[in-house]
Amino acid sequence: MVGGSSNIGWKLFLTPLVGFLLLFLGFPVIIDLVYSISKVNFESLRNPVPNGFENYGEVLGDRQFWRASWFSLRFGIITALAQCLLGLCLAVFLSPLIEKRAWLMAPLMLPLMVAPAMVGLMYRLVLHEFVGPVPYYLYMWFGDSPAFLNADNSFWTLVVVETLQWTPFAFLLFYTAYQAISPEIRKAASMDGASAFQILRFIELPLMRPTLLVGFFIRFIDGFRVFDNVYTLTGSGPGGSTASLPIYIYETFFKQGAIGKAIAASIILFLVSFAVLYGLNWLGSREKAVAR
Amino acid sequence: MMNFLRWIVFCAAAIVLNFPVIVTLITSFKSAREISSNPGFWIKAPTLDNYAQVLQVTDRLNIFAYLFNSLAVSLIGTVLALVLTFPAAYAIARSGYGRKTLLPVIINLRAVPLIIFAIPIYMMFQFVGLLDTRLGLGLILAIVNLPLSLIILVNALSEVPGEIDAAAAMDGANSWQIMRRIMLPICRPALITAFIFGFITAWNEFLFGLMLTTNKAVPMTVGASFFFAASGGGVQWGAASAVMIVGALPPMLIGLMMYRQISGSMTAGAVKG
Repeated sequence: MVGGSSNIGWKLFLTPLVGFLLLFLGFPVIIDLVYSISKVNFESLRNPVPNGFENYGEVLGDRQFWRASWFSLRFGIITALAQCLLGLCLAVFLSPLIEKRAWLMAPLMLPLMVAPAMVGLMYRLVLHEFVGPVPYYLYMWFGDSPAFLNADNSFWTLVVVETLQWTPFAFLLFYTAYQAISPEIRKAASMDGASAFQILRFIELPLMRPTLLVGFFIRFIDGFRVFDNVYTLTGSGPGGSTASLPIYIYETFFKQGAIGKAIAASIILFLVSFAVLYGLNWLGSREKAVAR
Repeated sequence: MMNFLRWIVFCAAAIVLNFPVIVTLITSFKSAREISSNPGFWIKAPTLDNYAQVLQVTDRLNIFAYLFNSLAVSLIGTVLALVLTFPAAYAIARSGYGRKTLLPVIINLRAVPLIIFAIPIYMMFQFVGLLDTRLGLGLILAIVNLPLSLIILVNALSEVPGEIDAAAAMDGANSWQIMRRIMLPICRPALITAFIFGFITAWNEFLFGLMLTTNKAVPMTVGASFFFAASGGGVQWGAASAVMIVGALPPMLIGLMMYRQISGSMTAGAVKG
């Protein structure tokens, strides 16, 4: 044992963190569990009345809940795919340029530094039909501009907004993985007569596979639980069409004051997230085992 | 030829990806009249009026208060996360305690939708009077920062050879002293990285700011959205743009200066997780 520390000693080092987690996450989870099976509103916070699984039934019977779930799922998958594809193309194509000039990385990373909530607000300006440059130029060049934030278009507008902000993350991840591939492998393959495309398709992409998967899942999870930019750009509208699950929960809690229902929905969300994470960890460990 | 094409793609990507910031920056230098008459990219008569307005007229929407709140809660959240995770990271790296349970739990926390905790924390804070306080929001931002902070520090401490501990122990130092006197200085680069990254994350956080503050502790991300809440005459786009630029500037500047450190830490969490 290094430093002569006893087992108790090492555990002491962990205590502050564990205590903090129990207080600020463990305690809330207990509140969650109790309130999810209680009839409760803002007036009766201190004496909730148990009502079994009524809240869960209410959530599962709510069309808006399913609509929000569908939004989150679709949004997560589409944005993750788009970001990974774009990020990969940029990483592979720009790699020769950036490896010689690392500073080129800075402008590409900049979107990651801007608060998603701010980005949502900024797009209100960018897409505004009277003061936004995008509709302005579309009118000027094509004589017409789509209403980006109406019920038909808002989903895809949000997809583009999310994709443009987070593609740099996928790019960064894939660029690092791409750079990590040893140059000798490429050299050997090209000596054997492989074209640049063949090297990419049969050597580089398979080698990057674990990173590609990790990138996809990280982006999927972040897209699935999206809140900030969607909330500041469209709220949940028009007509609830852009409510992600977190936005649904937020509005059920704050706007309707349906505390039990909102919490039941968040427990369902928690269980789904947990299942997804568990699946991912399992997949990750299998992937690692295969790689060995 | 190919390189020329690469430069074009690079420039296009840089512009498209940063498009909202560029547009907002341009708009912030236009007069109210020009914003509505000329939404294009070229500014005919640049002016600083919008900035002057949001920095001087602070009776209703006080941008300095939002900035100060953001600064305060980000510092609390970031420093607290480091204070909590550094000893834990040292124990995990050296003894293996927590590597099987605590570490995965915290890493996975990064992927859990925070709204799950937001509602009960709201109620908890209401009971103890932490709603709408900088301390309360700071405490919660520490949670947001725990995962990356812990990953970065565990990685850094795992790379420090155990012989250093052994040598210090030989000289009679106990674990606490080794951590404080030896590991802390050695890990300074990692601590700085975790600090920068945590600060940017905390500064940009929105959900908890929206839920847990109403007035006294409102951070910049939430405060900026107040400028869009039209009070009769519609949104004042010039002022709103200036506010967004001022609010987005601190993390952007830190990011631009520190992009090398940050690029590593962003993906560190992803790959090790």
